[in-house]
Amino acid sequence: MNKDVKLSVNNLKISFRTDAGKVQAVRNISFDLHKGETLAIVGESGSGKSVTSKAIMGILAGNSIVEGGEILYDGQDLLKISEEDYHKIRGDKIAMIFQDPMSSLNPIMKVGRQLTEAMILKAKTGTKNARYEFNTKLKLLGEVINAADENLGVDNKSVVAEKLKIFDSFCIASTKVEGAFNDAYGNATQLEVEIDNLIRFLELKRKIELDDELKSIAKSFNEAFNPYVVVHNQANDDCLARLVAFVKQGKKVDGEEVLPTLKEALAIIKEALAKDKPNFFTLGYYLYCNPNADVTTLAVNELNQMTRQYLDNNFMIDFIRTAEKGVLYSHKLSIEAKKALLPELRVAIDYFKSGDIDQKTSEKFVKDLNAKVDKAIDRLSVKKNSTEYVFHTAFETAVKEYFDGIKKNPVEEKIYLKNKKKYDAIVAKGQEPDWVLKPQVIVDLDLKLANICRVIEKLCASYEMDIANTNVFDANAHVIEIIDFLKEQASRLVVKMNDRIAKAKAIKLLEEVGIPEPATRFNQYPFEFSGGMRQRIVIAIALSANPDILICDEPTTALDVTIQAQILELINNIKRERSLSVIFITHNLGVVANMADRIAVMYAGKIVEHGTAEEIFYEPAHPYTWALLSSMPDLETTEKLESIPGTPPNMIYPPKGDAFAARNKYALEIDFELEPPLFEITPTHYAATWLLHPNAPKVEMPAIIKARIARMTKERK
Amino acid sequence: MAENKEVLLKVDHLQQYFRLGKRDLKAVDGVSFDIYKGEVFGLVGESGCGKTTTGRSIIRLYDITGGSVYYKGERICAGIRSYQDAIKQARKDLKEGKISKEECEEIVAKNRVEIKAARADHKKWSRKNKDNKLINEIQMIFQDPIASLDPRMTVRDIIAEGLIIRGIKDKEYIDQQVYKMLEMVGLVQEHASRYPHEFSGGQRQRIGIARAVIMNPELIIADEPISALDVSIQAQVINLLNDLSEKMGLTILFIAHDLAVVKYFSHRIAVMYFGKIVELGTSDELFAHPFHPYTRSLLSAIPLPDPITEKNRKRVTYNPILDHDYSVEGPSMREIYPGHFVYCNTEEFNKYRAEYEGKAE
Repeated sequence: MNKDVKLSVNNLKISFRTDAGKVQAVRNISFDLHKGETLAIVGESGSGKSVTSKAIMGILAGNSIVEGGEILYDGQDLLKISEEDYHKIRGDKIAMIFQDPMSSLNPIMKVGRQLTEAMILKAKTGTKNARYEFNTKLKLLGEVINAADENLGVDNKSVVAEKLKIFDSFCIASTKVEGAFNDAYGNATQLEVEIDNLIRFLELKRKIELDDELKSIAKSFNEAFNPYVVVHNQANDDCLARLVAFVKQGKKVDGEEVLPTLKEALAIIKEALAKDKPNFFTLGYYLYCNPNADVTTLAVNELNQMTRQYLDNNFMIDFIRTAEKGVLYSHKLSIEAKKALLPELRVAIDYFKSGDIDQKTSEKFVKDLNAKVDKAIDRLSVKKNSTEYVFHTAFETAVKEYFDGIKKNPVEEKIYLKNKKKYDAIVAKGQEPDWVLKPQVIVDLDLKLANICRVIEKLCASYEMDIANTNVFDANAHVIEIIDFLKEQASRLVVKMNDRIAKAKAIKLLEEVGIPEPATRFNQYPFEFSGGMRQRIVIAIALSANPDILICDEPTTALDVTIQAQILELINNIKRERSLSVIFITHNLGVVANMADRIAVMYAGKIVEHGTAEEIFYEPAHPYTWALLSSMPDLETTEKLESIPGTPPNMIYPPKGDAFAARNKYALEIDFELEPPLFEITPTHYAATWLLHPNAPKVEMPAIIKARIARMTKERK
Repeated sequence: MAENKEVLLKVDHLQQYFRLGKRDLKAVDGVSFDIYKGEVFGLVGESGCGKTTTGRSIIRLYDITGGSVYYKGERICAGIRSYQDAIKQARKDLKEGKISKEECEEIVAKNRVEIKAARADHKKWSRKNKDNKLINEIQMIFQDPIASLDPRMTVRDIIAEGLIIRGIKDKEYIDQQVYKMLEMVGLVQEHASRYPHEFSGGQRQRIGIARAVIMNPELIIADEPISALDVSIQAQVINLLNDLSEKMGLTILFIAHDLAVVKYFSHRIAVMYFGKIVELGTSDELFAHPFHPYTRSLLSAIPLPDPITEKNRKRVTYNPILDHDYSVEGPSMREIYPGHFVYCNTEEFNKYRAEYEGKAE
């Protein structure tokens, strides 16, 4: 499996402030989400699974307190970034599908409008960002290359500058060609839908405004002409001319007569859409060097080959070699800075570990180290090492929290003692007070101090690894990464989005999620759809921004079996096509069997067991997983179901020891005393139960599950 | 095997149409089934296929359009509108000259007799008729325990309400009954003075069950009682219903869309699709030999707790236009073999029959 970690949650702790006290909803959970995998989080309601997903999306309720931990995504800690930065991530990079489709759609807005809204907004901001990123990265590259060789003469410097300029110009030139292509392609895509609909209507002899439709089709057709889409030739021009002639007839036009021409046009468009895309990057360079060359005569793959060779020979190989020098230099600088920083970091750790610290020195440490760490980051690198990037805020907040605690604790204690005195006085009189004595909230200073040390230690470890890996540093790969990054930014510059293109895209998307007649459905309101269809629209909206990570919060709980199966298949297919990472939250283990690659079982705000889907279903180890599995009947079950007695614990006062102990018939004495750690069963499979301790009595899983697993294995064979 | 059992509830060509502008929405369109005493009868289908409407029509939460419902052999509700429509149609036909005057009068007279009989039956079983305690014998459990419990009534009031409406005034007796019910559904006496919001989802559903069971019903209509609950709590409620039906000899009409649960819980199952029952049989038989393509597609969609088979699962899709050819002969309910009915035409009947015999050999 691809081990590219997309999102990682570490020691996340979230609680909610309520009148009755602090509800500890999520208690110290950690997991990684890899690229292209589905992670299922399973648990009863109130186990904290939805809270976790909401924390990732940054939409926690107002009374929530994030007590600790981090959610790392793309070099950022999502718990610490501002709302403004979150706007760039939410929906765009991380999208969410909610349980109830009706509550996540706007009831008075047409479905189509809701779909295109985000696309248009995204395109607007995307262009601006892309321009900025492109320019800064290129400038940085130039600076670094120049600095790499101090002996570089003025001549050489100007050569480098010239090269960068060429790169800049032809990148932009290629984006222009691509932009024109995209426009024509977008028009062609929309045209396909339009003509298709019109033909269907004409064949069914429905009443329509034929002249208006034809006018719009002729206009789109005209705009679909491009050297790489609909080529100007005798047949195509002829077809357009005929269409224009029909438009000129106005209201008198006869549907029967138009039909053959329309079919011909549809064939042309379909053929044009099926063609390969040329490589605009290489083509851009070719056209930049030979502005008058005619390349339309070549077939697309020949063209691609030719331009690629041209680019490599004349520019790219040389450019890469130059850039490599710069990258190596930048990397060297960064490693040297890190080497120099390591002892300083160790000093800081020793200082904080000593326990004897004062605010002024600490703040000086923060200021000092942060500046140095920020400087030591290899800015040229495209991949963002989260530890380095996150250190700044993490260190600052950790220190701040510690000193805030020192200030607040005595005040808190004073108030508590005052209240307690009152309370005791009433109790002493033999009455029952009509108010509750709130427990005192004391900041655990030792924990906060340990937290500071941990942040620095983590950075140290990361630095040490970087230093150890210096020898295997591959400059070439890094240069390619940087060029790819620049290419991507440049291509974003040309994403043109207007209502028409967005509409064509939205209709495509509706079709992709399996909504019949997307063109008519586009103009309907959410209430006109059935539950399953509504959920599909929500999925389409979530996908419209092309996110990296999709969070599904019980997307099928409100749906019935057949539609549930359809939606699951849909999410699975889309995941495969776009290599999405999916977090799938549900309380029904049966649903996740065909979805999940890995499963985490949550109970009372903790992950009690996690492993691959096969391990969880065939070798479950935690009593809670057993209970979940045995409480759902399958088609062969005849004996009495083993329900879980009682209800989940009140998380204002989390129980001592294992939270599940009270409902667990396999509970040992130690379960009521001490919380079990996560025991490793296999490298991918962990469970938090004392039953796995070497000294624990041997307990078999319930007969009902054992029989089922045996039966399933037999049936498979 | 079914012949010697007493039929408790008989639903005969039940029709329930809703007016939707000019046309009718046929929510339930000619549904017939019998429920025997002491059995659990499952009704499955996708949302919007009319299962809930069927359940509600039986206890007369709607005025049904056509057909009749018999409880212990007596008609408790009958549709009037279908007869009225027949009279209207006959008069229209007369105007257009399709039928003679005598024929029309005959039809009108016949339908009027039916309407009169239906009205008489209605009156006999209406709520106003307080002497009649039989109607208390059918109780309903609703899908959403939060929406179906009055938030401003204590649990005692909620559970005792039925007894009070029945006219029982002895407070001690009521309290005693309430406590007995609470214990029976796995709650404790102290819960009686609390309000519904203080309970978890599973406990609330138990209150709903206690409210239904205190009337000492013969028949309970359970309308998706577990769909809104967590898996672990679903098991609690299913076990409770199972115990109750064994202990009290209850008959249950169990409406749900989770096939695994229905299979586990019911003796016989009817599969509904767009207002019609398409297949009916004992639960084992239905799952072992599904005939109707819709049933097959439903069965193929059940999620199993088995990742390897799940990942290779092929789902069967049902498309009524492709799967049936009813241009020559329309479908009707036919018995493939004793106790197993399928909605099909002669051609399909022969095919299914051959399939069954092939399998039996």
